[in-house]
Amino acid sequence: MKSKTKSPSDGGEKLFAAVKTSDMLRLLVESVRDYAIILLDPKGHVLSWSPTAERLKGWTADEIIGRHFSAFYPPEDNASHKTAMELSVAEKDGRFEDQGWRVRKDGKRFWANVILTALRDETGKLIGFGKVTRDMTAQRAAEEKIRKQAQEIFEMAAVPVVQVWEGVLLVPLIGTLDSQRTQHLMERLLQRVTETTSSVALLDITGVPTIDSQTAQHLIETVAAVRLLGADVVLTGVRPTIAQTLVHLGIDLSNVITRSSLTAGLRMALDIINLKVGPKS
Amino acid sequence: MNNESISVIKVRNILMVTMPSDPDDSTISSLQNKVLGAMEQTDAKGVILDISTVETLDSFFARTVSETAQMVALMGGRTIVAGMRPAVAVTATQIGLTLKNIETSLTVDRALDLAAIERPQH
Repeated sequence: MKSKTKSPSDGGEKLFAAVKTSDMLRLLVESVRDYAIILLDPKGHVLSWSPTAERLKGWTADEIIGRHFSAFYPPEDNASHKTAMELSVAEKDGRFEDQGWRVRKDGKRFWANVILTALRDETGKLIGFGKVTRDMTAQRAAEEKIRKQAQEIFEMAAVPVVQVWEGVLLVPLIGTLDSQRTQHLMERLLQRVTETTSSVALLDITGVPTIDSQTAQHLIETVAAVRLLGADVVLTGVRPTIAQTLVHLGIDLSNVITRSSLTAGLRMALDIINLKVGPKS
Repeated sequence: MNNESISVIKVRNILMVTMPSDPDDSTISSLQNKVLGAMEQTDAKGVILDISTVETLDSFFARTVSETAQMVALMGGRTIVAGMRPAVAVTATQIGLTLKNIETSLTVDRALDLAAIERPQH
């Protein structure tokens, strides 16, 4: 298959001539397999096509040459006149780079890295654009996968829920609690309480540096939700500084069972499930 | 009125009330009358409201449960809500379901234990 070029009406003759005379350049454009390199006229109509472009986008040269390059864009981008914006940025700044969804002839989408470069003649007159497109779908999928795995690991580490006794769950919280994390904590804790039919959950905040009123509110909500399930929550590891902060902020935790240490909390939990720890003999 | 979908059974001295999985407004409306009526007729000491199959909760349902529990308390009974699902608990917290006069239990089984052990708190 050969790269086709067509003489356009508005100012593309010089470009046409330049490509025509340079067989080496034409060979390069046709042979590069990873990048679809095509030319657009100043208004964005396709001037040249290449085998890689055909492989990537599905159209043959006869089908696409002369058509506007908005054909490669999804409808939502065309609704917002993205192509016009791209051309004007490329004309003003010399180049435009973008990553986004593009559409093949069969309607399938692929994730592309696109670079538009303004091409000017020696007088500085705009004669068209070079468009280099690279299919990044596989890379994007790989990145997504890694990101998702990292997120899963983070979520598990953020809210570990451990069963320390039949009927007793422990959630050792370490680090700052933001809304997203407390939300996640609530969901996971409720899930685990139901799965293990645990009567008590120990929420240990020894490793939480500070608590603000919003976090406290989230904790109170979590406790309320666990209670609705029919289990109880003991908040442990309330250090002096945290106790001071809570009182100064005017947060009412009188409905929540609190203990200063995890040991005292565990004793409380065992008490709730009617168990007693004593010497062996 | 689809009143048949709520079942109220007296087990020993407790009323077992089972809610359907997706109660509509008229079903919810009938809950109060059925429970209070059964309380009067059977001389039960309490109510176990099994909502383990209920998947969604709206403010009307939450308010009805809360009000019914208060009414049951006025009639000298206890209300134990059993088997609430995590997602329902999250919604209930967000719409501010109060636990006044309501006891909760993870399962119906435990609710029966709870009803047997503790004395009514009124």
